[in-house]
Amino acid sequence: MTVTAELTQEQLLRGYRTMRTIREFEERLHIEIANAQIPGFVHLYAGEEAVAAGVCASLADTDWVSSTHRGHGHAIAKGCDVKGMMAEIYGRATGLCKGKGGSMHIADFRVGMLGANGIVGGGPPLVCGVGLASKVRGDGTVGVAFLGDGASNQGTFLESLNLSAIWKLPVVFVVENNGYGEATGQAYHQSVADTAKRADGFGLPGITVDGNDFFAVAEAAAEAIARARDGHGPTLLECKTTRFFGHFEGDTQTYRDLSEVTEARASRDCLVSFRARVTRAGLIDAGVLDAMDAEIRQLIDESVVEALAAPFPDASQLTTDVYIKY
Amino acid sequence: MNVVVGVVANAASGRDIRRLTTGASVFDNTEKGSMVARLMAGLGAAGVARVLMMPAGGGLAGTLLRRLETRRDEGPLPELELLDWRPTETPRDTLRAVAELRERGVAAIAVLGGDGTHRIVARGCGDTPLLALSTGTNNAFPELREATVAGLALGLVATGRGGPGAMRREKVLEVSLNGTVCDLALVDAAASSQRFIGARALWHAGDISELVVAFASPSAVGLSSIAGLLDPVGRHGPDGLHVRLCDPASPSATVRLAVPLAPGLVTEVGVEWYRRLRPGEIAQLAPGAGVIALDGERELELAPHDQVSIRLAAGPLTIDVDRVMLHAAQSGSLRSTVG
Repeated sequence: MTVTAELTQEQLLRGYRTMRTIREFEERLHIEIANAQIPGFVHLYAGEEAVAAGVCASLADTDWVSSTHRGHGHAIAKGCDVKGMMAEIYGRATGLCKGKGGSMHIADFRVGMLGANGIVGGGPPLVCGVGLASKVRGDGTVGVAFLGDGASNQGTFLESLNLSAIWKLPVVFVVENNGYGEATGQAYHQSVADTAKRADGFGLPGITVDGNDFFAVAEAAAEAIARARDGHGPTLLECKTTRFFGHFEGDTQTYRDLSEVTEARASRDCLVSFRARVTRAGLIDAGVLDAMDAEIRQLIDESVVEALAAPFPDASQLTTDVYIKY
Repeated sequence: MNVVVGVVANAASGRDIRRLTTGASVFDNTEKGSMVARLMAGLGAAGVARVLMMPAGGGLAGTLLRRLETRRDEGPLPELELLDWRPTETPRDTLRAVAELRERGVAAIAVLGGDGTHRIVARGCGDTPLLALSTGTNNAFPELREATVAGLALGLVATGRGGPGAMRREKVLEVSLNGTVCDLALVDAAASSQRFIGARALWHAGDISELVVAFASPSAVGLSSIAGLLDPVGRHGPDGLHVRLCDPASPSATVRLAVPLAPGLVTEVGVEWYRRLRPGEIAQLAPGAGVIALDGERELELAPHDQVSIRLAAGPLTIDVDRVMLHAAQSGSLRSTVG
């Protein structure tokens, strides 16, 4: 069952591309949001990239992820089209959900993205459904639920831990512990320091890794996903990380000392550490990463230009694709 | 007599990847808090006046304070002072605490943790004696013991009643990267072909190419069990052991050995050669990219041109609890007059 933890060159390049794309996407949105052309709330993922990239490094298009209100990183890591995402966030007809979902509902079933989700703790039960379907069909599909430390207090999550454990579902719960449930520090909203400890009461393994370290996340996730795929049941994987921006765009963050972010950007930036380590190890040339950076910057530029030029959905489309008949 | 001892208890979770891959058990922070309370009962009975303790998060300090507050009158307790700073929950906390405890002149330091925590303490403790207590089943350096008795022994040593042979000199493996000492290990240092520190723990036998141990018992669990089952080296004897590993199926294997590499995991390894390492002698590791694991955790990522060498050197002083308690029995230091 044990997987070889060695990452291939392709996985390394893909990991960096994913993290850099998420960072550029989010840093750009942070600027664009000030132009007041983006409807609805936006929650940025910058700082937490290593989690989405590290976990999705071991997933295929046929595997499924459920996401959160902070979903852009998961969508990019799972392979959603970046231009389609940007257009969606701008509410345009060319968006992945035809401009009707916005930031908090980006979904693309073609690549196994069940959708960002405005309901805190809404993802874990969906992923239990994925796991059950996989078991019934016997197709080896794995479901991963991303959730935050705040969501780890929700009944939906705790019930999902129980259900997945008793049915040995092929799922992984990834808690992105950024230390805050919205504006409430972790020590004020839960009585355990490691959310992974929640697993003990339900009889599944819970482990904690450094969520700012792509290699730590990728290795632990590879193991947990292989375990799920091989029929050994669910895992709770806690990744401790830092969000660089507020809970939502516009959050004044009076609840935290912003030196926390300055310090994290200076010493725990997943992209800086990744670059330093792969170049020192002689695995990837810095020039290759520079070229990738430029290419991604251009992609994000184009995605904003194209989104702004795209039409809004027509009023006649108001109720199409919104309701489903059973 | 105002005797002060230090306590370093690592609040880090121990919820590492071994929980997925093997069955290692660890004590949680609640149990660690209780252990410190029981340690303090022993220290109080032995006449220690004050305990200085590293600040600890993760509910450890909270549990300890609750235990002390709800304790019934069961004998003297030392006064507890938590060092006054906010822990970062990184190894820096341990280094900082050890430096401060030494500066404050503690008679000895009780360490509650695994091999990793003890390794960090050993980097900074100088000749301040250590009481090495294990908080899990996967450790070779600290001992798994009841904290009350350990506290009594520590208290007897701190108050000058430890008797002869109360302290032992440990060995360490001094690790040099390109000629400069950069770290140390207390039990074992291993070279692995993995490229990154990743999830830290080392448990893929096939990736490990070389192993150097300071001591190795045939009944140990972990990497050092390889050396322990080949050629046991005593903890307080002079030598270490250097082992070159290979695929058990390869023709260069001279020995094939089943070893308990981690709790719940017995696996076969191949051995190309092994030799004793004398005190002060340097083991030069074969060059090549990979990582170096110290006491079972990947710590050092190597570039292809990096050179790593390991020297067997003198390490910290630790308290021999059995010896101290035997002396207490023989000298009557815990007896009081009858009638």
